[in-house]
Amino acid sequence: MGDTRLISNPQRMSGDEINPAAVAQAVEDVQGDDRWMSQHTRFVQECKDAEPEVLFIGDSMVQLMQQYEIWRELFSPLHALNFGIGGDTTCNVLWRLQNGELDNIRPKVTVVWVGTNNHEHSAEQVAGGILAIAQLLTSRLPKTKVVVLGLLARGDGPNPLREKNAAVNGFLRSWLPRLGQAQFLDVGAGFVHSDGTISTRDMFDFLHLTAAGYRAIAKPLSDLLLQILDETPEEKRASLV
Amino acid sequence: MHHIANASLTDKVMSSGDSNPAATPTPCVDIQGDGRWMSLHNHFVSNSKDKEPDVLFVGDSLVQLLHQFEVWRELFSPLHALNFGVGGDETQHVLWRLSNGELAHISPKVVVLWVGTHNHSHTAEQICGGIMAIVQLIKDKLPKAYTLVLGVLPRGKMPNPLRERNAQVNKLVKDAVSSLPHASLLNVDPGFVHSDGSISHQDLYDFLHLTPQGYQAVCQPLHAHLKGLLEKQAEN
Repeated sequence: MGDTRLISNPQRMSGDEINPAAVAQAVEDVQGDDRWMSQHTRFVQECKDAEPEVLFIGDSMVQLMQQYEIWRELFSPLHALNFGIGGDTTCNVLWRLQNGELDNIRPKVTVVWVGTNNHEHSAEQVAGGILAIAQLLTSRLPKTKVVVLGLLARGDGPNPLREKNAAVNGFLRSWLPRLGQAQFLDVGAGFVHSDGTISTRDMFDFLHLTAAGYRAIAKPLSDLLLQILDETPEEKRASLV
Repeated sequence: MHHIANASLTDKVMSSGDSNPAATPTPCVDIQGDGRWMSLHNHFVSNSKDKEPDVLFVGDSLVQLLHQFEVWRELFSPLHALNFGVGGDETQHVLWRLSNGELAHISPKVVVLWVGTHNHSHTAEQICGGIMAIVQLIKDKLPKAYTLVLGVLPRGKMPNPLRERNAQVNKLVKDAVSSLPHASLLNVDPGFVHSDGSISHQDLYDFLHLTPQGYQAVCQPLHAHLKGLLEKQAEN
């Protein structure tokens, strides 16, 4: 499925063209308050002080999770850091990881959730970008396990972005297992009803999750994290309450 | 006297729509491909058909996100409030939504309007004009309603031009509503900017959007003010 050469080198598409979704890129401050860089700087600083067992990195789907109770209930106890930034594409996450957000930390698990904002890229390019992130993580943190969350459906009814996100997930399902330390987790089951609609009870703007929406995805995710943390040999692991 | 005359002339120009894009009703064009903005608008219109809210919150992501946290259920559900916030909305988008059905089926006593921070290509004067156009529209459609405009919050980790712009918007709006019996501006900034000029991510998690803690600090006084307004409306 897709170009198998991408698995070894996701930076290149078929025909050896560069995959734009796998090119690291900072967000330019066009609005005038430099918030993206301020958030990045804060995360780099956090790396100096924290000793996370779990690192979450991605876009607003990651960022918003920390604002709900579910984060405190299920993920804070796992000593998790949240490096989500709203609007981020795979390019932005790659840049952040290459520019300090992995310094001085050795998480046992990294959760990657990004791709839904890559509007200028094809599904294959987006999957290649996510793969590039997973490869970067396993090369910088040889002992980390990478969990890539599938992109959720979006929009009130069927639309091209749903198809695109599903296609990204399809590529990831077949590519990620070949990376050894990476796995794919689909948390999107149940959001699209039989009539094709998504409820605002789950996604308040047909994209971002409500508290109830996060609750639905957090359980399978936290179960998987606990399982991975349990399997990981003791180095210096804080006790789980 | 001269100053006041100039201000109202500016208001007329800025809210006329011809010369102020921030005051010209404009729907959001779907460039991403999933039509979410229009879906949300349609959802609000149909959702309002069987509701009888006393309070309507309308605006951008700061309104929308408020609906997701406990503070909404604690403080605003009991006031029979509806939430028509859409992330990213600028004044002209809110103006379009309210002109195209979102006020058609309800008669709230108070409309809480919180918008302006996303108007990136407009000046403070234009943004004020956009807000005042919304205030006028609400008056036209809901003659008995009171409009409470919330001041636009500071943003960014350190001092920056957007903070100045937002402060100027608040000043201009405050002047513009001062002569109106049916509207006022409420400053809801509890002091997010510290003495060193910084804003904390504990209050604004991305230096723009409020954390639950940030919302509590904003909403407690807002809630008290709203209750006072509703009591006054009840007396009339």
